[in-house]
Amino acid sequence: MNWKPNPYVIAGLVLTSAPIIAHAKIYVSIEQAQKIIFPNKVLSKHPILITGDLQEKMRSASSIRHPFQGERIWRATDGSWFIVDEVVGKHEMITYAVGLSSAGSVQSIEILEYVESYGYEVAEAQWRKQFIGKTASDAIKLNQDIQNIGGATLSCKHITDGVKRVVTLYDLTLKQAQSK
Amino acid sequence: MKRCKPLLGTFVEISIHSTGISQELAIDKAFATIENVQDLMGFHHPQSELSKINAQSHRCELAIYPWTAYVLRAAREIYEQSHGLFNCGIGHRLVAARLLPNNLDLKQHQFGGIEDLQFIDSNTVFSSKPLCLDLGGIAKGFAVDVAVASLQSDGIDSGCVNAGGDLRVFGSKAQAIQIRNPATPTELIQIGTLQHGAIATSSLYFSKRQNPSTSYIVNPLSQTYVDFSGSYSVIANECIYADALTKVIAVSDKTDHPCLSHFSAQAIRIEA
Repeated sequence: MNWKPNPYVIAGLVLTSAPIIAHAKIYVSIEQAQKIIFPNKVLSKHPILITGDLQEKMRSASSIRHPFQGERIWRATDGSWFIVDEVVGKHEMITYAVGLSSAGSVQSIEILEYVESYGYEVAEAQWRKQFIGKTASDAIKLNQDIQNIGGATLSCKHITDGVKRVVTLYDLTLKQAQSK
Repeated sequence: MKRCKPLLGTFVEISIHSTGISQELAIDKAFATIENVQDLMGFHHPQSELSKINAQSHRCELAIYPWTAYVLRAAREIYEQSHGLFNCGIGHRLVAARLLPNNLDLKQHQFGGIEDLQFIDSNTVFSSKPLCLDLGGIAKGFAVDVAVASLQSDGIDSGCVNAGGDLRVFGSKAQAIQIRNPATPTELIQIGTLQHGAIATSSLYFSKRQNPSTSYIVNPLSQTYVDFSGSYSVIANECIYADALTKVIAVSDKTDHPCLSHFSAQAIRIEA
């Protein structure tokens, strides 16, 4: 172990040093996540129209208010599903991918983006624009300054809720598509 | 390459600084080892080995997996070195505070602690009293350690495994470490650089968002909930010790607690 403390922290001068704001991390793209969750499987896009009724059922199953977007759904030839969703909390927004088997069991969950901020700006399109067109190599640059963040444990409960609504979507809609 | 998965109740991030083509597979394997730890030691899983120990170890001898035995022995060692300030036998307190799910009938038992768990041989345990062990304060650090070992055995030279803020770095280059400012957790403080080591932090800023009235840290001696506003970080060779020792430092409020030197660890307190 080789630990070199920042002398300002040791001297108790933490607040005088300029703070770094923890805001965004991009881990993998949708394409990369598809290869990670379903290596060697061919996926084709399979958008679903989310009716108000379906949206409501998913909401009550998961207690997530942020509407589900039905266009980020892919299907493999063997009947597996790849679904991208995001959960928007008071403090963070997390985009994640779920792989479901043809029988609807969760195969794998992968975090694509983790964005942390105060307040409501995370939900605004303007704010999100800064990520449009970014590729995996840009993501590395974005992460460069914020590598190893320690601190109290952040709960992943929102993701657990998010996966619940994806499984609900399978039960109510995707399952029927299996037979077609 | 940097990936993140929801595991151990938090976000586990694995980043490696390697260019080999097998890096994807190495990360997959490292995540799988963390899942193994979760399956063995999760309090939340009624089928986990920990749940089995809690339910049966006072009735019969139990053969357990070497990883679980390793964590229990480390927990016992830290319990002894901290004179009881670290005690993973307080799961029932967290159940009572609704911080852990209720798998047990709390009224029925007078629970023992880690000190009541005896090793018949290296991988067989028996308890003289019913137990409600919760490895939440130590298993996360262990999971980070086994993930690092897995990456290294797959030829990854350097990287970092970060389980929701408890992290370990490996490789020949020192890596910069930031921790969250307990006063404003979206701000980071550059606290130093670390090479071949681990750092874990205890603070209440995230848990208070969800449940403002109850702390998840319990003083095992007085059986009271510990409340504090700053954060305590411990730097150690292995994450299992960093993780567990933050509780000793938080409960005692001593960044020079004598048990730190036994584990070659150091502590930092950041005021909120």
